[in-house]
Amino acid sequence: MREKATTLYLGPQHPGITGNMMVRLKVEGDTIVKATTEVGYLHRAFEKLAEKRNWLQTFTLMCRFCVPEPDPMEESYSRAVEAIEGRIVPERAKYIRVMMLELARIGSLLLWHAGQAGSTGLYTVGQWTVGDRNYILDLFEELTGARIYHMYIWPGGVRRDFPEGFADKVLKTMDYLEGRLKDYDNLMFENSIFQKRTQGVGYVSPKQIIERGVVGPVLRGAGIRSDIRIDDPYEVYDKLDFKIPTETSSDIWGRALVRREELRQSIRIIRQVIEKMPEGAIYNKVPNPQKWTIPPGDALARTESSRGEIGFYVVSDGSNKPRRVHLRGAAYVHAMTLLEDVLVGQNISDVSTIMNSLGTCAPEIER
Amino acid sequence: MYDFTGMIQGINNWLHSVMPDMAATVVGWVLIGAIYLAIFAVLGLVLVLAERKIAAFFQLRLGPNRIGPWGIFQTVADAIKLLLKEPVGTKRADSFLYNLAPYFVIIGALMSISVLPFAKGLQAFDIDIGLFFMLAMSSIGVMGILLGGWASNNKYALLGAMRSGAQMISYELSVGLSLLTVILMAGSLQMSEIVEAQRDYWFIFKGHIPAVIAFMIFTIAGTAETNRTPFDLTEAESELGAGFHTEYSGLKFAFFFLSEFVNMFIISAIAATVFLGGWMPLHFGGLEGFNHVMDYIPPVIWFLGKVAFMIFLLMWFRWTFPRLRIDQLMKLEWKYLLPLNLMNILLMAFVVLMGWYLGS
Repeated sequence: MREKATTLYLGPQHPGITGNMMVRLKVEGDTIVKATTEVGYLHRAFEKLAEKRNWLQTFTLMCRFCVPEPDPMEESYSRAVEAIEGRIVPERAKYIRVMMLELARIGSLLLWHAGQAGSTGLYTVGQWTVGDRNYILDLFEELTGARIYHMYIWPGGVRRDFPEGFADKVLKTMDYLEGRLKDYDNLMFENSIFQKRTQGVGYVSPKQIIERGVVGPVLRGAGIRSDIRIDDPYEVYDKLDFKIPTETSSDIWGRALVRREELRQSIRIIRQVIEKMPEGAIYNKVPNPQKWTIPPGDALARTESSRGEIGFYVVSDGSNKPRRVHLRGAAYVHAMTLLEDVLVGQNISDVSTIMNSLGTCAPEIER
Repeated sequence: MYDFTGMIQGINNWLHSVMPDMAATVVGWVLIGAIYLAIFAVLGLVLVLAERKIAAFFQLRLGPNRIGPWGIFQTVADAIKLLLKEPVGTKRADSFLYNLAPYFVIIGALMSISVLPFAKGLQAFDIDIGLFFMLAMSSIGVMGILLGGWASNNKYALLGAMRSGAQMISYELSVGLSLLTVILMAGSLQMSEIVEAQRDYWFIFKGHIPAVIAFMIFTIAGTAETNRTPFDLTEAESELGAGFHTEYSGLKFAFFFLSEFVNMFIISAIAATVFLGGWMPLHFGGLEGFNHVMDYIPPVIWFLGKVAFMIFLLMWFRWTFPRLRIDQLMKLEWKYLLPLNLMNILLMAFVVLMGWYLGS
């Protein structure tokens, strides 16, 4: 007997959906035959808004592109602006930037743990990791004055130097986090139900990877060692020793293992950064923001966020405002087009797990 | 050992002496009903608080801690809020069935509580098909869930209800068969006799290997029966929002919510009665002194302690396991638990036939 298909609207207000977006599912029984993503609930026109603000003011917009990890956005934008202007960043600032980026990556990965485990009904891991992320936010607060949106990385450097004893605090937090990783393994990665829920689910085929331009952990989960930190090193990543983990299964489980290992590598990087960080200036002074003009030109800066490569394309026409700012983010490809492909043939139960695994970030899709 | 038979008989006789027989019977019934309703309400409040506190303990949080010392009045406040809340329903719901559904759930839970022996003589009905009656009544609940999900006229509610129907009816088999394994030793379905048969050894010790297997199967299937994680597909938050009770609010939601916790109590109570000796103190045949010391602890404490242990076990499952998918859930029941259960019954029958159990 052929089952009759019905339409199920998952979102925009649904506990299983990451952020305000909707997935319209055509289901037969529990199986999805067609999925359509619908966005537009969070559009804030940041790219257009940036054209109306002077260069310094745009930074308050850039960090709001993706809520859980603002720093890669700031970093990417700053590097694009620096490239047009030819502004030099002091060595110490580069190290501090890398530390910020990796702290942001840890924070974002901890949030991912919460989402991935929570989408399978394992809320305890979520409570733990969000609690532990708080220690990262405390570090951010002490260094930058803000917990979520830091506006800390500027063209020409970073905004503030370390407070007294800050490096030790970072190392102490890293030690604590490393100790906690065992607990996450116990409850999440070694849990056979979690493995059963994720293995073989949400498979991304090589064809889809090429067609859709997949990046980040999804690409590494499919066995391709691609990471901007290695492929096109920025700041001081070429002076640091870290591994790029890959898995070959290309399912949720493979991506989960990649992210699990990335968390460990980030801790390693932060330790090295603290150790190797030189003394010195932390920024090149930015002129009066009202009069700060940037010579005509354009630049693209790529950064590896926790969800994959993000690229900022910035055009300047020589005035005190950007002519055009464009973000090419990971979530746009993953959650708009790839998600529609991957969901077909899956169970309704897996929509939320797949969305979390692909790194869906609704604010980044819509900007 | 404490025996409540005399006390209950005394109250009954006194009622009959002060009023005509007919009235005495009615008053007796009303009294029992009121007591059970009170137990029901208190159970709900206590268990919800316990769940929240235990969840907080697992998740490194504090849990409710604002109302009253240690937050103990939090659930009372919640209950009052739910009572006073305006009932919000859907316009296109089938209003008769929609309003009827919560009562099915709650009546099923109430009826099955009535045959529970809390202590010797402290039991509302001691009928000779007690255990069977209890299982039958607790499966009325699924009717309410199906009705509620269907009548809500909501796709998520319907999905949740259908899953619930499939799940509870499947796992009913495992619950029944695992209890049947132990019934082979007891030789009776009457609750008081089941407890009495565990005077020397609790059944989980008496039946050793097959009884332990049956206990494990019962715990898994019982968790599925109560729709709790890892089997909470009925109201899987990340998939279905709130599942079958998406469209319910206020008091009707409270009925569903409360009966979930009372069902948890019932499953734990069945496990305690059938496997862990009910109100019977920890006895080992032959160890007279030890048995005598154990008798000093009142049977009600024994019973509630065992139930509390089982409830803690269920809560432990809930906060440390992810949820299964519906196909994995069905596979677990029909491919693993059911065949294992059938073999286990054979094994138990053999053990009973050969007299290879502990005690006489």
